[in-house]
Amino acid sequence: MGGYILKRLVSAVPVLLGISLIVFVIMAMIPGDPATAILGSYATPENVERLNRYLGLDRPLWQQYLTWLGNLLQGDLGRSFALNRPVLDEVLERFSATLILAGTAFVLCALAGIVAGVVSAARQYGLADKAITFAVILGISVPSFFLGMMLILLFAVQLRWFPVSGMYAVWGGGGPGDLLHHLAMPALALSLVATGVIARLTRGAMLEVLRQDFIRTARAKGVPERRVIWGHALRVAMVSVIPVLGIQAGFVLSGAVYVEMVFQWPGVGRMLVEAILKRDILLVQGGVVFIAACYVAFNIAVDVAQGLLDPRIRT
Amino acid sequence: MAFSSLTRRGFAALTAALLATSLPVAAETPPGVLVVGQIAEPQSLDPHAVTAVNDFRILMNVYDGLVRYAPGTLEVEPALATGWEISEDGRTYTFTLREAVRFHDGSRFDADAVVFNFERMLKEDHPYHHTGPFPLSFFFGAVQSVEAVDAGTVRFTLNEPYAPFLSNLAYPTGLIVSPAAVMQHGADYGRNPSGTGPFRLAEWKANESVVVTRNEDYWDGTAATEAVVFRPISDANTRVAEMLSGGIDLMVEVPPVALSQFAAPAFRIVEQAGPHVWFLILNAKEGPFADKRVRQAANYAINKEALVNDVLEGTATVAAGPTPPAFSWAYDDGLKPYPHDPDRARALIAEAGAEGAELTFYVTEGGSGMLDPVAMGTAIQADLAAVGFDVKIETYEWNTFLGQVNPGLEGKADMAEMAWMTNDPDTLPFLALRTEAWPDKGGFNSGYYSNPQVDALLEAARASTDQAERARLYREMQAIVQDDAPWVFVANWKQNAVASDRVEGFTLEPSFFLLLKSVVKN
Amino acid sequence: MRLFLRLLLRNRLAGFGAVVLAAIVVLALVTPLLPLHPPNATNTADRFLRPLSGAHLLGTDHLGRDLLSRLLWGTRLSLAVGFAAAVTAGLAGAAIGVVAGFFGGRTDNLTMRGIDMLMAFPYILLALAIVAVLGPGLMNALIAVAVVNIPFFARNIRGVTVGIAHREFIDAARLSGLGNAGILWSEVVPNVVPVVVIAMSTTIGWMILETAGLSFLGLGSQPPQADLGSMLGEARAALITAPHTSVVPGVMILLIVMSVNLLGDGIRDALDPRLRSGALARPMAATRVARRSVPPPSGEGLLRLDGLETQFHVGSRIFRAVNGVSLALNPGECLGLIGESGSGKSVTAMSVMGLVASPPGVITAGAVRLQGRDLIGAPYEVLRGLRGSKVAYVFQDPLSTLHPLYRIGDQLAEAIRAHAPVGRAEARARALRLLHDVRIPNPGDRADAFPHELSGGMRQRVGIAMALANDPDIIIADEPTTALDVTVQAQVLALLDDLRGSRGLAILFITHDFGVVSQLCDRVAVMYAGQVVEEGPTAEVLAAPAHPYTRRLIACVPELGAGRRALAAIPGLPPAVDDLPPGCAFAPRCDRATDACQSGEVAVSGSLHKVRCHHPEGRP
Repeated sequence: MGGYILKRLVSAVPVLLGISLIVFVIMAMIPGDPATAILGSYATPENVERLNRYLGLDRPLWQQYLTWLGNLLQGDLGRSFALNRPVLDEVLERFSATLILAGTAFVLCALAGIVAGVVSAARQYGLADKAITFAVILGISVPSFFLGMMLILLFAVQLRWFPVSGMYAVWGGGGPGDLLHHLAMPALALSLVATGVIARLTRGAMLEVLRQDFIRTARAKGVPERRVIWGHALRVAMVSVIPVLGIQAGFVLSGAVYVEMVFQWPGVGRMLVEAILKRDILLVQGGVVFIAACYVAFNIAVDVAQGLLDPRIRT
Repeated sequence: MAFSSLTRRGFAALTAALLATSLPVAAETPPGVLVVGQIAEPQSLDPHAVTAVNDFRILMNVYDGLVRYAPGTLEVEPALATGWEISEDGRTYTFTLREAVRFHDGSRFDADAVVFNFERMLKEDHPYHHTGPFPLSFFFGAVQSVEAVDAGTVRFTLNEPYAPFLSNLAYPTGLIVSPAAVMQHGADYGRNPSGTGPFRLAEWKANESVVVTRNEDYWDGTAATEAVVFRPISDANTRVAEMLSGGIDLMVEVPPVALSQFAAPAFRIVEQAGPHVWFLILNAKEGPFADKRVRQAANYAINKEALVNDVLEGTATVAAGPTPPAFSWAYDDGLKPYPHDPDRARALIAEAGAEGAELTFYVTEGGSGMLDPVAMGTAIQADLAAVGFDVKIETYEWNTFLGQVNPGLEGKADMAEMAWMTNDPDTLPFLALRTEAWPDKGGFNSGYYSNPQVDALLEAARASTDQAERARLYREMQAIVQDDAPWVFVANWKQNAVASDRVEGFTLEPSFFLLLKSVVKN
Repeated sequence: MRLFLRLLLRNRLAGFGAVVLAAIVVLALVTPLLPLHPPNATNTADRFLRPLSGAHLLGTDHLGRDLLSRLLWGTRLSLAVGFAAAVTAGLAGAAIGVVAGFFGGRTDNLTMRGIDMLMAFPYILLALAIVAVLGPGLMNALIAVAVVNIPFFARNIRGVTVGIAHREFIDAARLSGLGNAGILWSEVVPNVVPVVVIAMSTTIGWMILETAGLSFLGLGSQPPQADLGSMLGEARAALITAPHTSVVPGVMILLIVMSVNLLGDGIRDALDPRLRSGALARPMAATRVARRSVPPPSGEGLLRLDGLETQFHVGSRIFRAVNGVSLALNPGECLGLIGESGSGKSVTAMSVMGLVASPPGVITAGAVRLQGRDLIGAPYEVLRGLRGSKVAYVFQDPLSTLHPLYRIGDQLAEAIRAHAPVGRAEARARALRLLHDVRIPNPGDRADAFPHELSGGMRQRVGIAMALANDPDIIIADEPTTALDVTVQAQVLALLDDLRGSRGLAILFITHDFGVVSQLCDRVAVMYAGQVVEEGPTAEVLAAPAHPYTRRLIACVPELGAGRRALAAIPGLPPAVDDLPPGCAFAPRCDRATDACQSGEVAVSGSLHKVRCHHPEGRP
């Protein structure tokens, strides 16, 4: 197992390097440059040139990339133009916020999706199944930014149950209760789509599993139906659900962009949108590589989990 | 059946958990602490490193400059300097500094500190020049040298007479930072600022809040609130929702469409006209707008009243010419805006033979001072269509937009949206209307307007140190430019803000700065 | 095609989706003909009019433009964009996937690494960056959305292609001299197309959502053109003040995406061959019972089946798998139930404890009495209490019938704990003892093995041990040795025989092999087309088969170890059970059949040795 994980980690390196190269090239192709973005209305060619020289952006692109790579090896991701601070500091701060949000949303959608999928499959064509199917399809059809705004209007502005935005109360906040209070709505808005996808997938996998012979065996043994469904069947269904969890984790991370914008969550998705608009190339670079690494790591974890769950593919 | 009871229990637990977290009903902000909704995270709290109005709003409360704008005006008055003398030739400015002022870090404010500040920005070989970049240092590009005459006196020598110099000193780029703090923190000074202002930085939680607390030793009387919390809320809807739910006490840049939400007595809307002008650059070099009559026709064709009253919900007034009325000393009151007169426009177009011309119109999606650019662009497109122009809009995100417009419209577009906020009546026309300011010469005259008379007036105004003389020159310039119509003059923005009824003593400044020293929060 | 449509419409949600989508598409198509306000005519004085105000049915937007008109024109555009993006992404992704999957090796490896990169890239940001590079505009947004979706198609299609590339017909095509391009075009592509089409049709809604998302970030169509996304984007600023301007396009997006998804689900289900056969329906905990009356018991016996009828209802077709079977099993007895595949013997056995998959199975008549108590229609908890404790099953293929992810020791312990209130340790001890009883060497180690780690014979011993776990009175063994090779088969049979002796078990032994029956069974019943055609003591039936079918069956019994060429020797095929001939079901294949055999029910004659035939063997 250890060797396998190591192999996967090593094979992730070229993927991450490739991503960083893609980011660099795309960012270079976008019209406009960081100097223009910083100077705004005052971006005369003269001022722009002066600032670009100051920032070291007048050098050829390959040189900039190699410098970046060299610094990366020393654990230095460079300095953000737009925020005037080390990229690593900013990315770590923003990333931990995103992890809290996306992690919670992911746990929510995995749990709710699986439960809904199992119930739906166990009651195939029943009222519960139809209700869940409908709710799920409704859920994956609502744009999350729209849903987020509606949640704010109802629960924050009208009912005042939850705060509108942010991660902690600005004055005297900071405890885990405060965090949960702020987390509830964005996590819900973020998890909805993935919940739907996972629920549909779980339902399909469960239907597939439930007609297999070993389910009949379990029933023939006199195993209670609840255990047949939630134990025997779900365990096997999870083997095909878990890889999708990996893909959904990517969607949740991506979807966090919208939710972070609506709820002003200080996460890395919002940071990246702003960084792209400001042409803050090193910040984009650092953020994307971090997200990609997280995605890759999560997928390795998923594969490992799958191996642990299914002895047949354990190698 | 079995699993339904399980799920029912699950739902009950989930509901209970949700209710538990929602028990502390969204807390009101505490008295003595003013929470301000900002439009973005500040880039840095180093006043020399930033360019955004959003950042200025914090900086003006943490730092002082040598001079500042007198409340409610755009005229300079003493601040850290108690007085100044200008030499006859307008090239030497000598400031007497206020005594016994200390920075937040405890170090002393004196002439050496002032010299350090300007040399850091302007001299590339200064040991702390690497703590930049200093994008707006060209504001002081005319400064040849800065010397400390003695501890309480500092002298600036300019390489040519430059009338806007004082006004630029009142701008955030002229705020004075603590040399000791710069030396201590180096490139990270922007996160560890130290000024002389009424508030000092207490905490900066990235993307959550910037907290400043009262400076008990402030030289100009202590602030009325214990602390101010600046919260970056970039989404306008979310900002409005926060304001409605009591999560913030004060918000700036209220979206025009949301103003009606704050009609309740629990809120107070504050407005203040500022030195802002929103206009369309017309390509005077080629295409239909090379003809002055067509440019005038565009000014007649566009219904500016409808734009400011309907699209902008009354948050702006119709602009008459290139200079905003907020520069009252330099503004020509006699100038009347082009009326909305489509018939006249059609007649002028017919006269010029430009009927049915196809026009390309650059529209931005956002950007500093651009108000509601897409909606305005669309409405303008419809107005121009009414007089027979076929206008094709191309929208760009702000930085791309600037990348397209600043190098000039030639060969690409016939018109483009633009807006400027400036601190001196010199800045905009000097940078955007002179022949010497064509894009290839490093200026912002992207529409290639050229009138030697205007060029001469602007040069003369810049060299004069007599305000009355400058005012006369600017008024003359405005009349000529209005008639030449290099732009469609659309709107002057009235900056707005909403405060809750727990906030007292809050006003907006024409400078677009946010001064919170005397604001009381109950 | 008609079956497809019927299946599609049977799914009510999918039907709903189809109707809504059709309505929207029709509206979009006829939009230019409708008497609408011009979509781009502004009138800022009339901005934010509420719905139903005067001339504007849905109100107006922030520039006073008619929302209904913009909605319809916008829907038209958005549908086109969603469709175009789905087709572009689908075709490009499919091309990549087919090439990677077909050629494999380095091509595959490199392509998939590239795909991995794109997938690890947050897709919204990638789309944002692409639009930033290309410049604004709906066309560029379309390209961006298409590009970020290519990886999903590519991955999906690659998987499908890999599956196809290893099929026989590809090898056949290669042998016939077709080149790679030829094979791709004539063999692979046609098989991939349906998958691509389904994937595309289900993504259209997603594409519309994503273009809306880009508009939210401010990158969409150019004003004044309306598409749903940019309408939503422009209206967002007024969300609090004039919510209807957001809700109108929002609801339309919701309707489109929802109906596309519902329809897509329906299409996928309707095209799925397993679902068509009803195989993807989830079997319930116990077989459905729909019988009008309960027949009286026709005799004694530990287990008695009286006139049992079990059917499969698939669509409008009814397969009568078990057609009035009556049998009795006495304590300690071994009864063989023999017949060809499809004769209904397994279904008979599964019906006893309600284990016939349902849907589609239904027990429509008869009774199954255990010690005089009818099990058909018994409450689930009663049935569950008896399963495994009184009546236990041994199934055919232990690899698929043992749970693949549980250790066998745990599976045994679970069987024990389902009925006996014992602790973990006790259950494990008993499980080890059971493994020992079925002569598995080293039970302690084997208990921790997973089924796939054991040999076939060992697995079947585990299956038997599991059946013995609660000391049942009856074991129903459904072809327990069919999947095993011959020597192992003999060992397992010997084991069963021993256990029967030592534990006083009654066994219902289902097989298609007379050789096996002769080794083990006291009596034998022969099934054909869902009916018992002959029943009697094994020796007697073997020596003097009365039914022509039995005779033929015995005639082709191989010597032990000579393989199973068996029943192929009978000319003709068994009848389809959804279309049984009147009279004797065997008549069409029988050389003794007369006209009398072709009509009317054939009665059973004899008492100890019964036969259902007008012209039994040995009598003229």
